[in-house]
Amino acid sequence: MQTEKKTVNQFEPKVIAFVCNWCTYTGADLAGTSRIKYQPNVKLIKLPCTGRIDPVFIIKAFEKGADGVLVSGCHPGDCHYNAGNYHARRRWIMFRKMLETMGIDSNRLHFSWVSASEGKKFTEVVNDLINKVRAAGPFKSYEKINKEYVIND
Amino acid sequence: MEEKRITKENLIKLGSNWVNDGMNVYVNNGKKYTLMKLHEEDLKGFEEAPPLMSYKEIVFPKTEPILYYKKSQKEVEIIEPKIGGVKNIVIGAKPCDAKSISIMSKVFNWDYKDSFFNVRAEESVIIGMACKYNDEHCFCTSVGISPVSTDGSDLFLIPLANDNFGVRIISDKGKELISKYESYFTNGDSEESENVLSSIPIPEKKFNAENVKSWLDKNFESEFWNTTAEMCLGCSQCAFVCPVCHCFDIVDEDYSFTEGRRMKNWDACQNGLFTKHASGHNPRDKQPKRYRQRVSHKFKYYKDKFDEYLCTGCGRCSRGCPAGIDIGEIVERIDKLTN
Amino acid sequence: MTELKNLVKSLLEEGKVTKVIGYRMYGENNTKPYIAVTPNDAEEMVLNTDCRNNLSVYLTKKEIINGGKTGIVAKGCDIRNIIALIQENRIKEEDILIISAECKGVGAEKGSAVYANKCVNCSVKTPHLYHELVEMKGSELSQPKDKYTEAKEKVLAMNSGERFEYFSNMFSECIKCYACRQACPMCYCEQCIADMSIPRWIESSATDRGNLSWNMIRAFHLSGRCTGCNECERACPAEIPLSFINKLMYDTAKEEFNYESGMNKETPTLIGSYNTKDNDNFIQ
Ligand code: SF4
Ligand code: SF4
Ligand code: SF4
Ligand code: SF4
Ligand code: SF4
Repeated sequence: MQTEKKTVNQFEPKVIAFVCNWCTYTGADLAGTSRIKYQPNVKLIKLPCTGRIDPVFIIKAFEKGADGVLVSGCHPGDCHYNAGNYHARRRWIMFRKMLETMGIDSNRLHFSWVSASEGKKFTEVVNDLINKVRAAGPFKSYEKINKEYVIND
Repeated sequence: MEEKRITKENLIKLGSNWVNDGMNVYVNNGKKYTLMKLHEEDLKGFEEAPPLMSYKEIVFPKTEPILYYKKSQKEVEIIEPKIGGVKNIVIGAKPCDAKSISIMSKVFNWDYKDSFFNVRAEESVIIGMACKYNDEHCFCTSVGISPVSTDGSDLFLIPLANDNFGVRIISDKGKELISKYESYFTNGDSEESENVLSSIPIPEKKFNAENVKSWLDKNFESEFWNTTAEMCLGCSQCAFVCPVCHCFDIVDEDYSFTEGRRMKNWDACQNGLFTKHASGHNPRDKQPKRYRQRVSHKFKYYKDKFDEYLCTGCGRCSRGCPAGIDIGEIVERIDKLTN
Repeated sequence: MTELKNLVKSLLEEGKVTKVIGYRMYGENNTKPYIAVTPNDAEEMVLNTDCRNNLSVYLTKKEIINGGKTGIVAKGCDIRNIIALIQENRIKEEDILIISAECKGVGAEKGSAVYANKCVNCSVKTPHLYHELVEMKGSELSQPKDKYTEAKEKVLAMNSGERFEYFSNMFSECIKCYACRQACPMCYCEQCIADMSIPRWIESSATDRGNLSWNMIRAFHLSGRCTGCNECERACPAEIPLSFINKLMYDTAKEEFNYESGMNKETPTLIGSYNTKDNDNFIQ
């Protein structure tokens, strides 16, 4: 893994947000156009629907060095595809529990409903996650099993 | 043949010394070939079944990088991985396992000399042990091995009374390994060892491998295959535990946009994807065809090419098969078809 | 009650089924699966406490289910998988004929004196979906030690770092043979996510990282679907205690949704359905 050398007190969390196209992404857009400030540690990945967010994406994000992950989409009842978020929510309940049991703390994995008009809420959700991850420190668990990826020279 | 004697206690001490010398010492503890933890492991295996998995990993790991790459806009830099550098010692290898390295070495040195295999094979020292186990899945004698054969071993242990072992020195490699530690040994009594060896019942042959081969020569297309191993789940367990199965798959794994590595991973002919072409066509599209490959590779193709059966009769593939498919029994059936 | 052999024989003779997937003896205290096609084949069929295999996995293999009604010998726990497959529209009930029995439990392994773990507190000893009933043979065995509760408590007492290490160590033994997948009646995907190469979601190398991802994803894909038949663990040559994570997820489905897979063919599947009132309290 290519991580820049930083000391712990300079730790800047890497946060990935998987968001749906119709609500949260538009909400984030609104936050931008309304010039609401939020911490720049988050990278947005846009998908059609929360129902399309395969849990494997989340594992991959952690595997590749994310310190925190946000998953966000339309409020219940507002899904562009009617029920994508209801299906997603079921999966999250199971998935979250599984990750927690297997050692990926729920402090690092947040879920939210953010509509297209909730630019402010988006920034709050993001800031909250980043602060929590900042407090928890870098996600080190994968470090040990990622070691073998370093070129041996 | 030179023969020495060692007590079990000293043998374990000797193992610890090798560990301290920086070697990887694997011990047959009756269930597994495990990396030796100082003094903890008890040397077993004389009367136990071959361990669940063979130790082929020491020469042919389940996964290994064969190169690393770094890309820049102009060029690709290839970095060779380090191989070897650590001696691997197996204490208490079953005769059916001991021969595995020399069998596999033929394919790894056929047209291309595979240094990944060769370096490790060169650095491995196999301490075999006579075997008193025999069950319905074993058939070493049918493929030219026996519970007392020293083929493939560098040193050979013969369990004697009172936790003593007769130690036969088979190869120079074996001799060299113990040269530093002569004091652990006393003089051997080859007569006593011989008595133990001759008390070990040599199982009867279950089939005549030559007959099997000549049947396979003529019966690529045969009804036989359709009803053989039809319950096979394609789980690959059989190939992965086999001491001589050696198929692998090559995959590239990137860990960033510019860096990555090329990996060599175990693969198995029972897996449906094994022969699937990029076009979607699969010449071995059904499990019976895959099973035919398994049997033919072991009892025909390898014999044709390298004059060796690709099977040591250890029976572990059959013991572990979740569908109860027994390769010995199937080959026995083929043998019966010939007379 | 009809004798299993006679039943299978007459089913085949009368053409009620084209084949019957069942067990035959394999040595003295073991059985193995086979397919009876002719009435004569039925002679060998047995059902006893050594019938460990879950034959329902064969209902998902296209090469075996190729037209006609298929008979299958199934214990209560195997019927759960059949029901789960019906729930998931993988098979149709009218295409199969289930031959079952009041279950006596099966031995943990060949020659073992104790029951398999899944037989402890089994709730489906009396089959819950069948078309023919026969008698199961075999003598009583003793109860195995409950290792699960102990291990669960141990894990739940750990902090996240320790848990992560615990599971990555457990799975580091994996050799990526996919025997767990192949033996599982619920792992029937035409293309498994582990075999996808573009993009490669799960690294196919049996490195610690690839192993952890594989086993995480598999456990997740099976959550709410796994019936606890334990064929995966029985098939695993690396002796990884796969039932542990599966059972943890099973418990989760039960706690969160009061759902147990393979109990009722009319119930929608857990992951394939939703309720607008599902727990929302973890979502901001
Ligand atoms: S172990 Fe048995 S079921 Fe698995 S691939 Fe080999 S023969 Fe088939
Ligand atoms: S094919 Fe089976 S019996 Fe033969 S060497 Fe391999 S594991 Fe042993
Ligand atoms: S995951 Fe294992 S226990 Fe669960 S249904 Fe599949 S084989 Fe059975
Ligand atoms: S692991 Fe998942 S994708 Fe693979 S076969 Fe099983 S259910 Fe399908
Ligand atoms: S059966 Fe065991 S070793 Fe094989 S892939 Fe599954 S977990 Fe890994």
